[in-house]
Amino acid sequence: MKGNRVKGFFKKFYLYRVFLVMLLPAVLYTLIFSYYPMTGIVLAFKKYNYNGGIWGSPWNGLENFEFFFSSGQAGLVTRNTVLYNIVFIILNAVVQIAVAILLTELTSKVYRKVTQSLMFLPYFISWVIVGIMAFNIFSSDYGFMNNIITALGGEKVLFYTTPEIWPFIIVFFNLWKNIGYGSVMYLAAIMGIDTSIYEAATIDGANVFQRIFHVTIPMIMPTTVILLLLSVGGIFKGNFDLFYNLVGSNGLLYNLTDVIDTLTFRALISSNNFGMASAIGLYQSLLCFITVVAVNKLVSLYDKDYTLF
Amino acid sequence: MKKMKKAIALLMALAMTAGIASGCSSGETSSGSAGSEGSPASAASETGEIDTSEPVELKMYLIGDRTPDFDAVYDKINEILQEEINATVSVEFLSWGEHDTKYSLLFSGQEDFDLIFTASSWAHYEQTVALGGFAPLSEEFIQTYAPDIWEVVPEIAWEQAKIGGTIYMVPNYSNEFGQDVMAVRGDLMEKYGVEEIINWDEMKEFAIAAAADGMYTFQYGPWYQYFQNEGLSTLGGAPKAGELVLYNTQDPEDLDLYYILDWDGFADYCHQAKEMADAGCWSPDALNSTDERQTGLLTGRTAAMVWNMGSCLTYGRQANQENPDWDVTIVDPVSDLPKKVNPYINNGVAINANSQNKERAMMALNEFYTNPEVYDLAMLGIEGTHWEAVGDDQYKVIDESNYGVSNNCNWGWNNMTIQRTEYIEDRTALDDTYDAMMDEWNANIKEDHIYDGFNFDNTNVATQVAAVEANIDTYYNPLINGLVDDVDATIEQFKQALEAAGIRDVLEEMEKQASEYVASKQAE
Repeated sequence: MKGNRVKGFFKKFYLYRVFLVMLLPAVLYTLIFSYYPMTGIVLAFKKYNYNGGIWGSPWNGLENFEFFFSSGQAGLVTRNTVLYNIVFIILNAVVQIAVAILLTELTSKVYRKVTQSLMFLPYFISWVIVGIMAFNIFSSDYGFMNNIITALGGEKVLFYTTPEIWPFIIVFFNLWKNIGYGSVMYLAAIMGIDTSIYEAATIDGANVFQRIFHVTIPMIMPTTVILLLLSVGGIFKGNFDLFYNLVGSNGLLYNLTDVIDTLTFRALISSNNFGMASAIGLYQSLLCFITVVAVNKLVSLYDKDYTLF
Repeated sequence: MKKMKKAIALLMALAMTAGIASGCSSGETSSGSAGSEGSPASAASETGEIDTSEPVELKMYLIGDRTPDFDAVYDKINEILQEEINATVSVEFLSWGEHDTKYSLLFSGQEDFDLIFTASSWAHYEQTVALGGFAPLSEEFIQTYAPDIWEVVPEIAWEQAKIGGTIYMVPNYSNEFGQDVMAVRGDLMEKYGVEEIINWDEMKEFAIAAAADGMYTFQYGPWYQYFQNEGLSTLGGAPKAGELVLYNTQDPEDLDLYYILDWDGFADYCHQAKEMADAGCWSPDALNSTDERQTGLLTGRTAAMVWNMGSCLTYGRQANQENPDWDVTIVDPVSDLPKKVNPYINNGVAINANSQNKERAMMALNEFYTNPEVYDLAMLGIEGTHWEAVGDDQYKVIDESNYGVSNNCNWGWNNMTIQRTEYIEDRTALDDTYDAMMDEWNANIKEDHIYDGFNFDNTNVATQVAAVEANIDTYYNPLINGLVDDVDATIEQFKQALEAAGIRDVLEEMEKQASEYVASKQAE
């Protein structure tokens, strides 16, 4: 019985050899760039020095984690990170799906292509540039916004000393930057829907909205759930580029804009402490791992087909 | 099919050996560097002649960007080095933007190089020494391979370079003043009826008058000018680039450490800063501004620019050329006090602990530092193309665009005994003010304070320091720029946050090291 199975394995191996070879680069890539570096996790438990390197440096237990919790900011930045990411994930998904559906419903091909390209463009702009754009929009001296406000007879708004405005600004820029790229995924999912279903719906007298809500959205649900699960995997990782370039060293805004990554950067940039930096990375990864497994489990209770693993 | 299998096997083998190789490399080097300290001297033969028969190519890392003519200049330098010590130098640059992150990667990545620019506090000296990145330089080693440097560099500079009693860098030798001055619009001074700006009060008066006129004066809150007027200076190695703990550099008898939150002056400054910020002495967006320091002055948005004297001269000249009616001049808002010379370790060069050619590297550095030909090339470029000599100790710029004067990270071997000064043909009032101030400063150098050479090593309290650093910007940046609503409440929050983060442990360790340092100095 067992021999048969082994034989079966080799038979299948031979049968799918071409596919396996096609898979090989991806497997190697993951091994070399994802699994091998994972051994670097040991750094989180070491007092790193250049001579010892990753393996030879002495161990120091959980000492590397201490600074983060004794800073008194751990709760605040973890909260900020998670809340921002929840908003990003939900809002991005909703808007991207909406845009994807709108694009497919457009009849003019030229107009559709142009719109899509224009929305895709911000994805290629570096956050550094976005940060400078934001400063030129919101600055109180020469900012575009304040020029408009004063031209209309209003009072200047000091954006950079008003923390409450920043969650909206940050969410807006994140959305603006990712909308084009994200909607492509959903667009692909929509293109994959069998057109005969739409035909049947039209014959049955469904209008545009009924087609969208009863055909399109249910059909792209599996894709949506998988994309959501994948993004939940990064829920404890703050987008450093985004927060650092928009907020910078403006301490006035930190209560509402500081995330784990920016706090770690400020704490360690002057001391080059690799161990502590790895410790925070591990802290984030661990929490993300737990979240993904938990959410995946929840999804499986609803429908097993939607799960990642 | 067979071919494919072979290819796969080969790929696998490659991947595995790559993994093994990278895993091993760190082990090898750790054993290699341990014995390096004693060995260099043995290369010198009995007769005192150093064996340079083997040609060597050295690799040096500098900070900044490669100028267009850099390679041409270094080709000339290499011709000389080849002849003198049978070695050539190839240079790599770490740009201004990335050296903060890449510097440490050179060491952790086991990059093969010999010389590297370093500096205390602003270019990674203490951090790299703490992680074991630099080769220790014994006095015997320096005397053997860089006898001319040993002759030129004063004792105090070597003292400053010592960490735990060992030298890890060759410090530069030039009197560089650490205190900033102001380039300020003369026409506006006249307009506001401010005759001179020689102290804090006059500076503030000018700033408030300018603000009433709708002009900014500063880019950021003038915190440094405030504590410098009180005779204080930042303490090397303290958190926030030394700004969190100050010491009285003007009074050698005063060995107290001033933790700013225990010092009344800080609260006083913060109140004045808020007053000035509210008046409009600088932009309410100061914390997010990415402008370069000179932008405000040159564009006419601010009435003044705070920077070191050399930069104030450069941009003051430029501003006057572009707007002759501005009459930009240089003033010293801390003119009552004697001047502090920057520690010589503010620029320097170190040798990589893993370098295979430490001896030749030291000899090359000796050439850069003390051979006038090499020195002029590195500082000024090629004679006839970039500059021309005026007498023995002056130069005139011909073309600054492709190399620049002292613009190529040659500061690590600054040597004021052979450095040429600039010859200016058509002098303006600004040049005269500059020269007069320079002479005044050079004649008025302050007494050494024992803490001038002290550098706090935070290894023992790394956790607390990181926690403290994580909290500083939240309160400190808004406070010193006067951007908070309630100064006293914010200072109170700042205090509590730092206490919770463990600032007392840091201060205790700092006091301990400082008193040990004082004891060791007094014992000598």
